Amino acid sequence: MNIIPTVSEIELQGRFDAHEAESFREIVDGILANSASLSVVLTAVDFVDSTALAELVRAMKRCREAGGDLILVKPSDPVRVILELTRLDAAFTIT
Amino acid sequence: MSETEPDSQVELLAGALVDANDQLLALYELTSITADSLDEREVVTRLLDRAKTLLNADALVFEAVATYSVGDREPVEYLTTARHHQPVGQSVVLTATCIDASGETATVSALRRRAEFGTADAKLLDAVATMLSSAVTTARMHQAAVEQAVMASDHETASHLAQSALPRWLPALPGADLFARSEPARSAGGDLYCYEVIDAVLYFAVGDVSGKGLPAALMMTNVISASKAAFHRHGSEGSAAVLRAVDLWMHRPLSDAGMFATLIVGSFDPASRRLQLSNAGHSPVLLSCDGVLEPLLAQHPPVGVLPLPDPDVFTEELSVGDQLIVASDGITEQLGGDGGMFGDDRLAALVKSNTAMSAAELGATVFDRVELFAGAAPQGDDRTLFIVRAADDTQAAEAA
Repeated sequence: MNIIPTVSEIELQGRFDAHEAESFREIVDGILANSASLSVVLTAVDFVDSTALAELVRAMKRCREAGGDLILVKPSDPVRVILELTRLDAAFTIT
Repeated sequence: MSETEPDSQVELLAGALVDANDQLLALYELTSITADSLDEREVVTRLLDRAKTLLNADALVFEAVATYSVGDREPVEYLTTARHHQPVGQSVVLTATCIDASGETATVSALRRRAEFGTADAKLLDAVATMLSSAVTTARMHQAAVEQAVMASDHETASHLAQSALPRWLPALPGADLFARSEPARSAGGDLYCYEVIDAVLYFAVGDVSGKGLPAALMMTNVISASKAAFHRHGSEGSAAVLRAVDLWMHRPLSDAGMFATLIVGSFDPASRRLQLSNAGHSPVLLSCDGVLEPLLAQHPPVGVLPLPDPDVFTEELSVGDQLIVASDGITEQLGGDGGMFGDDRLAALVKSNTAMSAAELGATVFDRVELFAGAAPQGDDRTLFIVRAADDTQAAEAA
């Protein structure tokens, strides 16, 4: 029998900041309990703050420790700018 | 019908009135006790003690979240451990139960060795049970309020201590005109700046620990300590060595805490006007040279994300009037009344149109404009601004 790891996907919309960080963490932790990889679609996110970025970094580390990865999918322009300004674009896998 | 019957009825009536009056007095005494104290053990023990006397009982036990008792050891043990057995001798037990405010059952039991309890005793014990339950609820609410107040006070003190890690004074360094200010959004925050003058060279660090409030502030104090230690140990080796050292010391603690810190470290030597920078994820950073404003982008991800490779170095020889402006995102991301952000462009325009200002004047102007822009909107994040302006010795002395 072959066991094929699946990649889960979630999509975020609107502001992703300190107010949303806790619920994001709960959802992601639930997904990563059964999956080593996660795709986060950021096309409809218009703002991320440092707390939100820290949550993405935390999830990315957890994925990589489990042999998977966190993939940021199609970040919106505002998100892409922040990722570039902070050079986090060099740390994440972005498609 | 006997002739004494009316007298007997009067006696019974009088006795009932006396009993009713005694009950009222007893309730008054018990109520006075509950109003006297907010200490749970004290008020419960006093209530039980008084109720034991009023009921002429040998022992009383109150069982709720905790158990309290008064009376001799033997009857108390009987009430708390062996109630399911038959009483020894002539002992009788009276029990009253009530539900407290949190829905928990509270029970009070009285034991009397010599005589049966009457109806009035049962009513009084009901009242005692309710009073005990109410007293415990009140005492616990009071205790919770006190603990919350102590916690808030501790939080405030810890926040104050964390913020006190930021330097209060600017160094008087001939040839360098400086400005530094940090305003946390709460009582403490993750924004930081620090500097040391070593052999007439200014070493500085400006950064932002992810997250908000006290957790970010506590980590911020560690980043400041690491930066200062790195200035002294590795400052002469250049900004890359300083950033590498801070990363070596802080990557693991930040990573373990699920945090990261944007951090730009640098040095400015007023003698040569040589500016050197290494930047791990910090933005915005602006360099104004001969009136031309250039944004300096970070070279690496923030500290705590991934272990840094050998950090890159940016070097520039400044002329008098040139300046480095390092802000935090709390300035550029401040929301205005219309929901828009202050933004990088507005900050850049403000700097560009005020190049003749001293560092202190420009710094104060930026803070004023951000506050004006925010209007009634709350401060969204910590605001930090650090400015190094190359000055001749006379200008620097005047600024100092």
